[in-house]
Amino acid sequence: MGFGFTVGVFGVLILSHAAYSTIQYRGLLKIMEEEFSGPPLTVFGELVVGLILCMWAALTVPGKFLSIHPDSEENRIVSLPENLDFMIFNHRGRVFPSQVDLKLNH
Amino acid sequence: MVTKTEESQLSRLESQVDNGGGGAWDFLCLVRKLKVRRSDKVLKHGLSILNDPKKRSALGPHEWTLYEQVAIAAMDCQSLEVAKDCIKILRRRFPGSKRVGRLEGMLLEAKGSLPEAEKAYLSFLEENPFDQVVHKRMIAMVKAQGDITRAIGLINKYLETFMADHDAWRELAELYNSLQMYKQAAFCYEELILSQPTNPLYHLTYADVLYTIGGLENLQMAKKYYASTINLTGGKNRRALFGVCLCTSAIAQLSKGRNKEDKDGTHLQSLAATALEKDYKQRAPDKLQLLSSALKSLRVSS
Repeated sequence: MGFGFTVGVFGVLILSHAAYSTIQYRGLLKIMEEEFSGPPLTVFGELVVGLILCMWAALTVPGKFLSIHPDSEENRIVSLPENLDFMIFNHRGRVFPSQVDLKLNH
Repeated sequence: MVTKTEESQLSRLESQVDNGGGGAWDFLCLVRKLKVRRSDKVLKHGLSILNDPKKRSALGPHEWTLYEQVAIAAMDCQSLEVAKDCIKILRRRFPGSKRVGRLEGMLLEAKGSLPEAEKAYLSFLEENPFDQVVHKRMIAMVKAQGDITRAIGLINKYLETFMADHDAWRELAELYNSLQMYKQAAFCYEELILSQPTNPLYHLTYADVLYTIGGLENLQMAKKYYASTINLTGGKNRRALFGVCLCTSAIAQLSKGRNKEDKDGTHLQSLAATALEKDYKQRAPDKLQLLSSALKSLRVSS
């Protein structure tokens, strides 16, 4: 978890560094009075690296993904919740001998 | 809805707690979340937590929910002394609370003094006529007395005000089923399917009720709902597969004189039969012979 988190932070830092260097490059072009066609190639490389790192961190940090198929074995509905609001107390369990030692001690 | 993972988690925790390992509080939380009725276990392990002052103080504010849960479990197991003690402690802590008043009403019900319980609930309803839980307790009381028609009347009146309460629709459906009023039960199941369309168990029960009523249109609808159950469960529900086979043969028997579309019907039936045979071969190979002969007789009669 810690490793994924640091990788994510690293990826965000790389992306922000790419943004900063693009802004600097644009300032340089303004001084040299040339047109700004696109960021330099190094910035593209930095962006790709930052993208890969951030995506890897986003997929590993949150933990195990849960299944969403309704018909998979782990999501199979086994039983409905018992209707506890309409629970009645005069069932056959009433005649079972109750355990005498169960007591609340205060 | 209790899914398979939750059920395995629950049984694992239950065996762990029964064999003396820790985790009683986790077990009780899971029981409360899944709304299962394991009153004897809840009583035993809840009391073990409550009787130990160290564990009790470790719970913090959840202590009072545990008192309530143990009180209800004690009433279910007929340990009325324990329930009375728990309610007394809750009453001391929350003097004017309606929730504790409801628990006291439930204790009167469990003791068997139903007229007093009815008086208490009616006084609650006078103060607040829109209290859902008290309405449901009154219905449960009438049901406990055995007067099912009066209970049905009360639930119908309740559902006129609170139409979205699917627990009440489910209870009404079961009451109608017990009186064999299947058409009304089918209506209730339709409401349940409307509110929870992805739950295959409701589709299955609706199809069962339609198959029980009988008649050509109902059988065709039943076949459709068995098919939708198979769709929702990915073909793993054996009851729905059997239902499809039985419906097809019943429809074919009813429409013997007329020439309706036979091909689609028998195609679905043969698919279901193949799926059933594969399943039995995997799980119960010694019963495969029984199954094949039963399916053959269904197909011959069509």
